[in-house]
Amino acid sequence: MNTPPAFSVLVCLRLLLAVLPLPGQNLLKHDHQLSSPLTSYLRLNEGLWLLDNNIDPYVGGAFHHSPLLLSLFSTIVPPLPIVWAVSDAVGTWALLRIWRARQGLSSQKGTRFDVENLIVSVYLLNPYLLLPSLALSTSTFENTLTLLALMFASEGKVSSALLAIAFAVHLTPSSILLLLPILMLLVSSPVSHLASPRPFYGSLKRIPLLFGEFTLYWLVLVGAACIIAGGSWNWVGASWGASLTLPDLTPNPGLWWYFFTEMFDHFRPFFLMVFSVHLIIYILPICIKFQHDPLYAAFLLVGVLGTFKAYLTLADPGLFLSMISIFPEVHGYLRHPIITTLLHLHAALLLPLQHVLWVSEGRGNANFYYAASLVMGMAGGAGLVDACWAGMRIAVGDAKAWAEEKVDGEKGKVVWWEVVQQ
Amino acid sequence: MRRTPVWIFLACLCTPSFALYPGEIYREDLRIQPLRDGRVSTTFSFVTVLEGAVPRNPMALGQVDESQHYALFPLTLGQILREHAITELHLTLNAGRWNYDNWGHPHEAGVGTGAELWAWMGASEITTVDERWSGLRNALSGLFCASLGSLDSRRTLSPTVAFPLSGSTPTFAPHELRHASLPSENVCTENLTPFLKLLPCKSHAGLASLLNPQKVFDADWHGMGIHVIWKEDTGVELKLTLQAVFNPVRTSTGKRRDWNLQLLFDRSIERSCPVASSSSITVILPEEKDYQIIPEYPAHVDGLAIYDLSSSSNFTIPSNIAMSWPSEHSFQYPLPPLTPVTPISVKRTIHGTTQTRGILSVSVTNNSPQEISAGYLEMVPALLTLWMHTLKVEINSQIRSDLLSGLKYHPPSPQSNDRLSPLDVASCPHNSTKDHARNFHRGQQSFSEIHRTSTRCDERLGSTRGRVFPAPSIVSRYPSEL
Repeated sequence: MNTPPAFSVLVCLRLLLAVLPLPGQNLLKHDHQLSSPLTSYLRLNEGLWLLDNNIDPYVGGAFHHSPLLLSLFSTIVPPLPIVWAVSDAVGTWALLRIWRARQGLSSQKGTRFDVENLIVSVYLLNPYLLLPSLALSTSTFENTLTLLALMFASEGKVSSALLAIAFAVHLTPSSILLLLPILMLLVSSPVSHLASPRPFYGSLKRIPLLFGEFTLYWLVLVGAACIIAGGSWNWVGASWGASLTLPDLTPNPGLWWYFFTEMFDHFRPFFLMVFSVHLIIYILPICIKFQHDPLYAAFLLVGVLGTFKAYLTLADPGLFLSMISIFPEVHGYLRHPIITTLLHLHAALLLPLQHVLWVSEGRGNANFYYAASLVMGMAGGAGLVDACWAGMRIAVGDAKAWAEEKVDGEKGKVVWWEVVQQ
Repeated sequence: MRRTPVWIFLACLCTPSFALYPGEIYREDLRIQPLRDGRVSTTFSFVTVLEGAVPRNPMALGQVDESQHYALFPLTLGQILREHAITELHLTLNAGRWNYDNWGHPHEAGVGTGAELWAWMGASEITTVDERWSGLRNALSGLFCASLGSLDSRRTLSPTVAFPLSGSTPTFAPHELRHASLPSENVCTENLTPFLKLLPCKSHAGLASLLNPQKVFDADWHGMGIHVIWKEDTGVELKLTLQAVFNPVRTSTGKRRDWNLQLLFDRSIERSCPVASSSSITVILPEEKDYQIIPEYPAHVDGLAIYDLSSSSNFTIPSNIAMSWPSEHSFQYPLPPLTPVTPISVKRTIHGTTQTRGILSVSVTNNSPQEISAGYLEMVPALLTLWMHTLKVEINSQIRSDLLSGLKYHPPSPQSNDRLSPLDVASCPHNSTKDHARNFHRGQQSFSEIHRTSTRCDERLGSTRGRVFPAPSIVSRYPSEL
C-alpha cells in the first residue's frame, strides 16, 4: 500500500519518541486525564508483578486489565513503549484504509495525498491520543482495535472485522455499542450516503449469522482468558465488572466518578444501572436514523463513548475528534465548530490546572476538577450533537444556497427557514 | 485454754493472705527505669494466675459451661473469655510513639499507637471463629469503653508468623489467629477506670493506688495492655500492664531529671494490697554512679533496687522513692550522634507532594556489629494501593534486591478490606541502613466510606480525618543467640 509522505515521517517520529527517554514520562503515567484505573500502565505492571509472584492479580482491586493483555505482556513482548508506538502506527494505517474504503479508492491509486496527509496528522498529532499513548495507557490498544474493526468492516472482511470487534469488546465491554453499526457495515457499504438517505438496503438476514460468528469469537476469547487466568472467574468481576460497578473512584475527565463519590450507598445500584443503560440507549436511534450510512453511525457512537463512558480518559474523545477527518463532506454543515473547539481547548487547559490545584497543591477541592470535567462533558456533547446534526443536514443540501438559487428576494428567506424546519 | 483456737481463727481472719484463695495467685510489680533522655519509664504489671485452669474447649460451646467462681480473677473478663472460648487474648491501647532509639525495647511489648487486639481461638463448628471474634470485639469494647467494635472484618487479618501463641498450644482444637488494629483509637481516662476495676484491690491499695489518671495521661507516652495467656504447667494467666514514660525535665521547674513517686503520680502508696502474694517496686539503676536514691534499697541485685511492699514482708512501705542527681544543676540532653539502644532501628516515612500518590519508604538500620536477619510485617489500609512492582531495596543508594527474601504479599480480600503487605525476611549487613521504597496510590473515597472509616474519637472531635497507618511489626532473628 502506498502511503502519504506524512505517514512515514510521523510514524518515524512516533517511534523515535518511544525509543528516546522522555523527561516527563513518569508524570504522564500518573496523570488521571491520560489513564484510568482500567488502562493504567502502573496497574498493568503491578498485575505482571503479581503474576510473577504467583498471586492472583484479580484479587485486591489493584488490577483491572484483561487476562489477554496480561499474557501478551508476560509471555510475548514486555510492555515497552515501542509497542504503543506500533499500535499508534497501526491505528493511523487503519484510519487511512477506512478513508480509502469510504472514498472507493483502491489502495493502488490513492492519489489524494493532501487529504491523507491531513488524516494521518490529525491522528498521530492529536494530543488527546498522543499523550495517553506516551503515558502508555492501554486505551491506545482499544482505539487501534476499534479502528481495525471498522477498517475490516469497511473492506468487507467479515471474520477479521468480527474478531477485531470481539477483541475490543473483550478489552472494554462498552465497545459493544459499535457492534450493530459494524454488522450493518458488513452487509452494506462504507461509501457515504449521507447526502442521499435511503432505507437500509443490505440483507438483514445475514445479520443474525454475523452476530452468531461474533458471539463465537467472543466466547473463544472468554475461554482463552479463563485458561490464562488459571480457570478462575475472578477476572470477570475485576475487569468487566469494574466499568459496570465503578469500584475505583479515581477522578477522571468523565462524568461518573464525582456522581458516585457523592452518592448514598442505597442509591448506588440503581444509578449504576441508569448510567450503564444510558450508553446502550443511543445504539438503536442512531443506527435507525443513519441506516443509509452505518460508518457514520459508528462514528457517532464513538462520540457517545467519548462523552459518557465510565472511566473516560482523553483517548476516548480523542478518537472521535480524529475520526472527524474522514468525513469531510459534513464539515461544511457543522453549525458551531468554533464553539466545540473552544470548549475542548477550555477543558484541555482546565482539567490539568484544576487537577493540580486540588490534588497537588491542595488549594482547591474535588468540585474544581468536577467543574472541569463538566466542561469536558459539554465539549464532547457539543461535538457529538453537531456531528449528528451535520450528518442529517447534509441530506437537505446547502439549504441557503439552494433556496437562493431557486427563489429570490424575501420569498427566498421564507423557503430557507421552511427547509431548516424539516 | 479454750480461747486459743478462737485467737488463732481470728488471727487468720485478720491476716488476709493469698492462701485464702486456693488456686488463685495475684502479684504486682512496678518497674521504674530512668532513660538517657531524662525521661522515666514506669511499667506496672498486675498478674492474676488461675492455677490449673484450662481455656474452654470450643467444641463444648453448645453445652452449659462450668460455673465460674473467682476471688481475684475479674469475673467480667472471665465471662467474656469463657463465652467466646478464647485461648489467648492480647489487647493494647496506646497513645504516642515509642522511641525505640532512646528508650530501648519496652518492658511490655505491644507499643503500637492506638488499639491493637489479637486473639487465638480454637476452631469449632458450633460457633465459627469469626462469629466469636465479632462477639469478643463487641464485649471488649463494652468492657473497656473503647471503639473496638469498628475492628470489623475489614481490618481483621491472621498474620500467624508475627503473632504466635505466647503460651502453650492446646491440643483440643486447631487454633486460629485474628488480629486487628485501629491506630486512630486514642487511649483516654475512660479506658483506665474499667482497667482499674479488673484489679482485686482496685486503686484503693497496693501499686495501683499510684495510678492517677491526671498524671498518667499527661505522660509523654502511655498505654495499657491486657494479656491472657494459657500455660500448661501453671494455668490461665491474666496480665494487666500499664506503661507510661514521664518527662520530669518538662514538668520540673529547674529542668532537672530528678524524680520521685510523689512527683510522678502525685499520690503515694498508703497500704499494700492484702491479697497480693508479692508486690514490689524495682528501680533499674543507671550505669553512671552519680545518682542518689532514697530510701536505701535492701535487696542487692546488680543494677536493680528492689523494694518489697507485700504485707508479709517486714519491710515498711516507703512513703516515697526518690532518685536525684545532686551534682547536676540542670539536665543536659545527650548530644547527637547517639547510638540507638536497640540493635535495629526502623523509620517509616511517606514522601511525595500530591494527595494521590507518594512513596512509602521504610529504612531499617542495623546498629549491631553483626548481620541481622529480620522479618517485617506491615498492614496497609486498603485505601492505599501499593505498587509492589516498584519495590526497591537499597543500601547506600545501591540497589541490593538480593537482601530481600521470602516476600509475601496478600492483597485485600473481599472480606478484609485492608491489605497485608509483605512479610519479608530481609537480611541487613552490619552497621548499615537499608531502604525499602514502594510507590503507592491513594484512592478516592466515596462519601459513605469516609464516614465509615472515621472512629469514635474523630466523631467526638466533629471531624473526619485521614486514616492512620497501623504500626508495622518487626520479627528479628539474631544470627548467634536465637
